[in-house]
Amino acid sequence: MTRSQASDPFLLEVLRNAFDTIAEEMTLTIIRTAYSQIVRDSLDFSTALCDARGRTFAQGVCTPMHLGSFLDALEVMIDEIGGTIDERDYYIMNDPYAAAGQHLPDIYVVKPVFFDGSLKGWSTTLAHHSDVGGIVAGSNALGATEIWQEGLRLPVLKLIERGERNETLWKLIALNVRTPELVLGDLQAQMAACTIGARGMCRLYDRYGVATIDGAIDDLNAYSRRLAEAEISDMPNGTYRFTDHIDGIGEDPQPVILNVAVTIEDRRMIVDWEGSSPQVAGGINSTFPFTKACAYAALRSVMLADIPNCHGFTEVIEVRAPPGCVVRPVSPGPCGARGITGYRMIDCLFGALAEALPDRVTADGSGGSTLPTISGMQDGRPYIFCETAMGTWGASRANDGQEGVPHIGANQSNIPVEMIEAAYPIRIERYGFVADSGGPGRQRGGLSIRRDYRILSETALLNVRSDKRAYPPHGLSGGSAGAASMNLIKSEDADRILPVLLSEPVALRRGDVFSHQMASGGGYGRAFERDANAVLNDVILGKVTVQGARRDYGVAIIECGREFSIDEQATSEIRAAGKDAPAP
Amino acid sequence: MQWRVATDIGGTFTDIAYLDNDGVVHTGKVPSTPDRYARGVVNGLKELAKKQSLLLGRMNEMVHGCTIATNAILEGKGARTALITTAGFRDVLELRRIRVPRLYDPLYVKPAPLSPRDLRFEVRERVGADGRVVEALAEDDIRAIAETIRARNVEAVAVCFLHSYVYPDHERRAGDILRGLLPDLFITLSIDVLPQIREYERTSTTVINAYVGPPVRRYVEEMSADLRQAGCPAKVMIMQSSGGTVGAASVMQKPAQIVECGPAAGVVGAAHLCKKLGIASAITFDMGGTTAKGSLIEHGDFIYAESYEVGAAMSTAGAIAGGGGYALKLPVIDISEVGAGGGSIVRIDRGGSIRVGPQSAGAMPGPACYGAGGDAPTVTDANVVTGFLNQTALAGGTVAIDAALSHQAIDRTIAAPLDLDLHKAAYGVHLVANATMVRAIKAVTTYRGRDPRDFAIIAFGGNGGVHGAGIARSLEVRRVIVPPAAGVFSAVGLLVAKRAVSVAGAFAHELSRLGPGAADERFRHLQMQAARLLDLSANAVTYRREVEMRYVGQAFELSIPIDDLSFSQKAKKHLRQLFDDEHERRFGHKFDERNSVEIVSLKVRAEAEEDDVPAQLRMSARQRERETRNVYFGDAFGILETPVIGRAALELEPASGPLIIEEYEGTTVVPPDAVVHRDRFDNIIIDLDYERRGRP
Repeated sequence: MTRSQASDPFLLEVLRNAFDTIAEEMTLTIIRTAYSQIVRDSLDFSTALCDARGRTFAQGVCTPMHLGSFLDALEVMIDEIGGTIDERDYYIMNDPYAAAGQHLPDIYVVKPVFFDGSLKGWSTTLAHHSDVGGIVAGSNALGATEIWQEGLRLPVLKLIERGERNETLWKLIALNVRTPELVLGDLQAQMAACTIGARGMCRLYDRYGVATIDGAIDDLNAYSRRLAEAEISDMPNGTYRFTDHIDGIGEDPQPVILNVAVTIEDRRMIVDWEGSSPQVAGGINSTFPFTKACAYAALRSVMLADIPNCHGFTEVIEVRAPPGCVVRPVSPGPCGARGITGYRMIDCLFGALAEALPDRVTADGSGGSTLPTISGMQDGRPYIFCETAMGTWGASRANDGQEGVPHIGANQSNIPVEMIEAAYPIRIERYGFVADSGGPGRQRGGLSIRRDYRILSETALLNVRSDKRAYPPHGLSGGSAGAASMNLIKSEDADRILPVLLSEPVALRRGDVFSHQMASGGGYGRAFERDANAVLNDVILGKVTVQGARRDYGVAIIECGREFSIDEQATSEIRAAGKDAPAP
Repeated sequence: MQWRVATDIGGTFTDIAYLDNDGVVHTGKVPSTPDRYARGVVNGLKELAKKQSLLLGRMNEMVHGCTIATNAILEGKGARTALITTAGFRDVLELRRIRVPRLYDPLYVKPAPLSPRDLRFEVRERVGADGRVVEALAEDDIRAIAETIRARNVEAVAVCFLHSYVYPDHERRAGDILRGLLPDLFITLSIDVLPQIREYERTSTTVINAYVGPPVRRYVEEMSADLRQAGCPAKVMIMQSSGGTVGAASVMQKPAQIVECGPAAGVVGAAHLCKKLGIASAITFDMGGTTAKGSLIEHGDFIYAESYEVGAAMSTAGAIAGGGGYALKLPVIDISEVGAGGGSIVRIDRGGSIRVGPQSAGAMPGPACYGAGGDAPTVTDANVVTGFLNQTALAGGTVAIDAALSHQAIDRTIAAPLDLDLHKAAYGVHLVANATMVRAIKAVTTYRGRDPRDFAIIAFGGNGGVHGAGIARSLEVRRVIVPPAAGVFSAVGLLVAKRAVSVAGAFAHELSRLGPGAADERFRHLQMQAARLLDLSANAVTYRREVEMRYVGQAFELSIPIDDLSFSQKAKKHLRQLFDDEHERRFGHKFDERNSVEIVSLKVRAEAEEDDVPAQLRMSARQRERETRNVYFGDAFGILETPVIGRAALELEPASGPLIIEEYEGTTVVPPDAVVHRDRFDNIIIDLDYERRGRP
């Protein structure tokens, strides 16, 4: 092992803890002081400490898809503000095209860190705001065709200038959003976190001296890079390709192609999205900084070491995409619902990596949050209910797919049924697993989750984005695909199937039930090789039916009263007959 | 003479503490006997009685801390537990809140549900959020399920219906039917355990209660039987995770309340110490062999955790996101934990950085210096190399060590690969361990908006005194207190703990709509319930009443103390004010009167009015020879010849470091740039002098 770093390795570990603790403290400041549910409860925000050039050296990551996404925005910011930086300033920006932002609801608030009169770095926050205007509440319309429809666009501006509030800007923001109290409250929470971060760094500079801290930041980046390089050098060189699809938007969905080639080349990786669909006239285009962050999150997830969340890690990963494609749109491509594409890019990358690292990834899962949103009138007042509904994973080489888990890209939570019913005219009538839905495999994919919502208000509007129907979650190593998603409206007169990604909301009436069944997880390995006792256990648990056990796994189960047992004879016959059948 | 004793059971040792008539604490350790813990306890008591010339027949009370409930969960050895839910919701327990405790880990595996899916049953019934019955209870469903349960060797049943906290009748009726048909089973209703909104947390807590019920009952029965057989009539009081003790019979009402009671007892001991010393607030730092724990005492009281998960290892994401263990929403003292202790293994990772823990060498093979085959260096080995720890034996001379093995392990794994001086490497490991453990303390201070510099640290646990001063230095804390018997401090905490319980009941009302006397009846009922659990007459109990409140439509509740139950306009205004203020303190903002406030539940914290135990907690004086050894205190000081003394030899007047105090229960390190004295309660008080270093 070579020691290329300048600082003492013990001090470096002490300072790394100190940096991380400051970033975490910024995170907790936001949780404690934010106003909106999406920031406070869904934790859709991140905090970071960056050096004077904008390179992150500690990040309080709540949303993995934010990893390493700050550099592009800070570089634009540093360029724009040039030499006019004042210690008391706070900057704000969100525009994907003018400020290398992610999508309009994600607003950056950044404060410079000064020590002894010179600029040392940036205390940075990014938060998803409850609304920034535009054609739908929440500002993530799938149906937007250009960015101007998506809400308030902020280039790099001073939210606070030399300690004075930029009142013009605050008033402008307040008037352009549907939830001014929440947005302004959350901006203040971000400012509070920036202040905490800057103060924490100043204390460290004071205690250890400028040379030590600056040296440690460089060493930490180098350390992070070394760890990542060591990880990559263990991976087999080669180019690994995968193609995935988003089902498409609206009544007549056209598949959106995501095509990736991951190249492992000694100690670096290249992620190339050449061959993906051109950008679309709908809000699912993923801006390039976000596309990069999704790649970092996916690749970080297949590395075993506890790599610090700093810039050095990203230096060994190059992300490429042709301008004008769905993962690198050009102005005025709409991108409000770019999360859909973000989740799918991570799924697609795992698909590609499965060939190189078959024991580090799972088969595909249900995907990201489907964001069911129900709005209407209750007691003469409008209500909007929205939740992050997730999720199921595909199987891995060692384990069955996990059930009741978030997408790897966003660690979000469900909302308790009792809290929903206490606040909204909605009754949840079912929340549970769907038997036989897991993708069959030697390791079984996780089961689909179904949640049924009955409308109790006179009328209501429903929005939901739940694809993986035409292209269900893939299996791995001979494992079968998972079950497709299925969304039904059950009315008194008839049932109807909803399109996958709604371009506009669906009207519902009192008593209608929205039955929301998410996709399941794909299987891993051939189902007929699954341990018969594991199949028996699934039958006992009601996760696989007796019929499903025979059909999907070739295991004959004898049911006697409430007791189940394996018919060994029949099982070996069925399995022998199915042995030569081609893998699904 | 009647006497009382405290026993605290751990995985390896059972700690015993006894307070004699002069207020002197006598402590001891005996091996735990996991096949039947009571045996080890009785052995230890016999030993103690013999040594102190006490009669077992005159022992009138044993206060007990145990790991039986925690271990049942961690080892998956609880009761075979069935769960009965509203139709459509049997998977709530397994789905949890979705969020996971680890980021970037696609191979994460969730903890298995404590009630497996084939033992989770659904019943047709439905109640709305407003308490109105949507669908009547199908009693035949319950009867059919009872038959199935009977056939499946189930030992415990949990019942949790949606919205039972506003309409308990369906659960009550289900409970009556089940108890009638299955009289031998341990049956728990959610409204008796946690009558609060949020179905996952309520279901999980109820299932935990059912899951640990039968093992806790067996355990308590064995303990009572073995004590009786030994001719000991003592009443057994058991510690709860809330910091109060309760009689063995009442424990069975809510056995989940004794999960994690051992660490709580240490905090109770620290709170008692604060009171004696006249300090209102302190940080507790409890460092053992595998973990370090931090907690906060503020205004003489513990801080309670808003959410707690059994078996969740603390991690950065975990602390924020949760999801790593089994949700238990009962009053639990907020104790944060990191996986770093004396036995934590030290290594260099692939990027060349030094990491401490969370892997531990455990009791077997233990640190390299034990010579039991462990060749990985641990924090203890680093402390041997620097000279902080004794060079020939640990634990007051009872565990012989070979310091050369520590030197070899640190050299081979750390110093040689980094091309560093051995002492520097060992001292560096000590610092990295401190940096890791500081997080546990930050989690209960800065993360809660408190500045640690405002507090003193009370350090205990086997290694608390070795690292206390270093931890204090990195937090800029000025004073460290190492109490007597620091190594068995949980047992001391048991001795001074009071009988106390918390009970709660749902009470969903908007504050503005409440009239005079609205909550009188409910509070009276809760107080009677509390007195019954304490097994005391109502007038021997002090009650503290609280209301859990939140802004209408919000997800967070805050507990607000309430004295004036009149709900007059004035009283309501005052209550609202208290709530707004607390909200602002915790979350940084409050809402104006356009946001109405609602009460969600009522809470009563009841404590026995008892005399305090004697003020003078003292050590029996154990003399030891004064000696010196060479100790490395980092680059700034190098190797110093350091006096090593016993606690009794420490002067009441401040003396300058460096100094090492060695005792049976542990070692305390006083760095060169600190002063130390012994106070009149025999506490070691270390004062860190910041001015001298020129740092604020």
